Amino acid sequence: MSDAIGGENPRRLQIKFSVPSDPRYLCVVRGAIGSLAAVIGWDEPECRAIALAVDEALTNVIRHAYHNRTDALMELECRESADGLEITLLDNGDAPDRSKICAREIGCDQPGGLGTHIIKKVMDKVSYEESPEGNRFVASKRLRKSS
Amino acid sequence: MKISVRDVGAAKVVEVDGEVDLGTSPDLRRILFEVLPAAEMLALNLGAIRYIDSSGIATLIEVLKRSQNLKKQFVLFGLSPAVQEVFRLTHVIRVFQVFETEREALGTA
Repeated sequence: MSDAIGGENPRRLQIKFSVPSDPRYLCVVRGAIGSLAAVIGWDEPECRAIALAVDEALTNVIRHAYHNRTDALMELECRESADGLEITLLDNGDAPDRSKICAREIGCDQPGGLGTHIIKKVMDKVSYEESPEGNRFVASKRLRKSS
Repeated sequence: MKISVRDVGAAKVVEVDGEVDLGTSPDLRRILFEVLPAAEMLALNLGAIRYIDSSGIATLIEVLKRSQNLKKQFVLFGLSPAVQEVFRLTHVIRVFQVFETEREALGTA
C-alpha cells in the first residue's frame, strides 16, 4: 500500500496557499517560505532571498495583474523537490507585459521595476506562462550542497 | 512597521522598525515626504528593518529624487543585513549616501 495521497511524494513537503490579493497577508507567506527553505537546507541569507523572490512574485500579481484590488485570489504552491524548491503561482488577472519584465536597468536611480530582477537573480529558473487556468509563474532553485 | 522622527540640530532623523513591503511602504513614503521639506538633512536609520522589498527600495529612490529637487540632503545609515542583501541584489547602494552610524551620517563623528 502506498502512503502517497494524490500521487504526491510523502517524504517531501508541499505547501499550497490560497492568498487574497491583500498585501497584509504577504508576511504570512514570507514566514512560511523562509522556514521551508531553511528545512531544505539553505542558510539564513539565502532563505531571506528566496522569501523575497516569492514575495516579489506575489507583489507583481497584486500590482500589475489585479491593479491593487484586494479581493482577488492567488494560488501559490511550494514544493520541495529532489534537489531544491519549486514555486508555482497562479492568478486570474491581466497577463504580464513581457516587454516590462527585467526591462529596466539595475543600479540606477529609477524607482520601480526591480522585482523581476530580484526574482531572476535569486531563482535558477523562472518562467511566465499563460494557461487555461490563468497566468502561471513558475520558478525553481537548486540546493548546491557544499562538499 | 513603526516610524519615529526626531530633530538633531537642523536634521531630522527617522527610525524605521519592522518590515517594509507593498502594504507598509506607502506609509513610509508619506512620512518621509512630509518630513523632508522641514529639514536641511533627512537621515534614515535602517538598522531595525527586518525586511524590505522592491517597493521599499522604490520608496527610498523616490525620496532621494524629491530631496534632490528640494536641494535637501537624504542619507541612510545603519543598514541591517536584510537591507544590505536587497541593496546588493538591486545594485542601488551606489545611488545613495550610506553611513555606518548616525554620527557619521550627520557629519558629527
